[in-house]
Amino acid sequence: MITWPPLLALLIAIPMTSAVLTPAVARGNGNRAFWWALGVMSVASVIATMLIARVSQEGPFSYVVGGWVAPYGIELHFDEFSAAIAIICLLGLLAIVYSKDYVAHAIAEPRIPYYYTLLLLNLVAMMGFTVTGDLFNLFVFMEILSLSGYALVAVSGERIAEMAAFKYLVMGAVSSLMVLFGIGLLYALTGSLNMADIATRLEGAPSAPLAVAFAVLTLGFMVKAALFPLHIWLPDAHAIAPSPISAVLSGLVVKVGIIGMLRVYQIAYGSGAIDMSGLNLVLMWLGAISIVMGAFFAVFQDDIKMMLAYSTISNIGYIVMGLGLASTYGLIGASVHVFNHALIKATLFFGAGALIYRTGKRTLTDLAGVGRSMPFTVAAISIGAISIVGMPPTAGFLCKWYIALGAMQAGHPFFAFALVFGALFIFIYYIRMVNAFYFQQPKDPAILEVKEAPATMLVPTLILATLCLVMGVLGRVPLSFIEPAVNRLLATVGGG
Amino acid sequence: MMLQGLWQNLDYVASVVLFCIGLYTVITKSNLIKKFMGLNIMETSVFAFIVALGVVDGGDAPIMGAGAEPPFINPLPQALILTGIVVAVSTTALALSLIIRIWKQTGTIEADELREIE
Repeated sequence: MITWPPLLALLIAIPMTSAVLTPAVARGNGNRAFWWALGVMSVASVIATMLIARVSQEGPFSYVVGGWVAPYGIELHFDEFSAAIAIICLLGLLAIVYSKDYVAHAIAEPRIPYYYTLLLLNLVAMMGFTVTGDLFNLFVFMEILSLSGYALVAVSGERIAEMAAFKYLVMGAVSSLMVLFGIGLLYALTGSLNMADIATRLEGAPSAPLAVAFAVLTLGFMVKAALFPLHIWLPDAHAIAPSPISAVLSGLVVKVGIIGMLRVYQIAYGSGAIDMSGLNLVLMWLGAISIVMGAFFAVFQDDIKMMLAYSTISNIGYIVMGLGLASTYGLIGASVHVFNHALIKATLFFGAGALIYRTGKRTLTDLAGVGRSMPFTVAAISIGAISIVGMPPTAGFLCKWYIALGAMQAGHPFFAFALVFGALFIFIYYIRMVNAFYFQQPKDPAILEVKEAPATMLVPTLILATLCLVMGVLGRVPLSFIEPAVNRLLATVGGG
Repeated sequence: MMLQGLWQNLDYVASVVLFCIGLYTVITKSNLIKKFMGLNIMETSVFAFIVALGVVDGGDAPIMGAGAEPPFINPLPQALILTGIVVAVSTTALALSLIIRIWKQTGTIEADELREIE
């Protein structure tokens, strides 16, 4: 199937325009805003499916905006890594469905359209970020995404929501500045902003400023990805945001940092002008520390959403370690974990959100025994928890297995140990959660009286939980899909 | 030699100095508005750095017309930074509105006091 090339531009243009139009279309009517947002995301998903079908048949392709040829004009580029838009669309659709009832009780009716505007903007900016072939557009999409993210954290109305959002904003703004500075340096060295073009022009560039540019870009993206020493903004922001937003933030928005790193390393590897092994070593270590520390902090949390937020830090560690290993298996595992972790973490946050919605309680102590009154939600959470530990046959197992293989392949068995060690920690908090939900006596007997979550929340949670299992069984599909892109990336460094 | 190098790259040196002033403000000040002013100074320094990249010695403004002669200054960084400034303005607007809401809820915008309230 050959798709119409401008579809790639429409993928961004339609949702972006529609997002901004939401308040006008809905005019304070929350229900109409919901249907509008759902419709827009469905259109985007159809387009995304066609694009992915094309990339799987013909390989990467690009579209030049406004007919200006590539190095001068703006280019949208679609390759296998861009297939991450599949998960953005899927999670976006489910988050919108999930929001219907959740938002009705959390936000005043006249403000609901703005909520959907921000959510749509956030999602479309992420799609733009994944498909852009131009460094400056990368920055602009990243800013749209971050700004809507800060506002969405503040939307929940919890007492310290604004404080969490402000902390997130300051860290986010500094990291964006670093990315902009790195882009400026690369522009100074090459006179180009097109990623493919930069890769061809970097050869012969002085190595010191080049190293600074890549280091600054990586540092900026690390903050966005919340890698261990730079994670301090994440737990509050992700725990306090409304649950559908937590799922989007934890599942997708932190991955923007990862995709950004991938894009930048495509340039670095592609040009061969700079030795990346030093940076890779840093990434491996930070990834390993992140895995252990994130899981360690998660074990001591009583607030269920806080626990999940720390677990995100741990999982980002897995992905970054896979990137740093720069071996075929490691990179494949990391790329697929971007996808699978989004599924798993969204399952968990959706489930946790449903529990909080029905019971009004957020700590494990208070939620004890809830498994008897909300069996389906808690079952979905349990499946998510098994996946996050990485037990076969769930989605989490496959990626972690591949990253461990990658560590062996790259000759760093030590990092495989870090990975297993982290998984053990994660296992502890999984046990704590399941124990509290199923086996402990309820602290407050009223918790046995609550009803199961409403259908708009339960169905997305169950769909995701099912996908966690399905992706574990059908794991070969995404693995083999991403393989050509990884091989292309590593061919230039001669890595294996 | 060293001094001469610094002098020739005065624009870059100035933006580094500005960046450090901004970073210092962000880290040390407790008042949220001052913190954000520091961030704005950092943003300005990066913008100045990128605009300075486009400068050509003896270059003219990149506007065609009677009397305009090459060399021209590279207009691309300026156009980019225009976008960057728009982004910075939106960030600032959002930050200020958040600060207002923090103040309405807690009656303070000093980070130290806010930490105690949390």
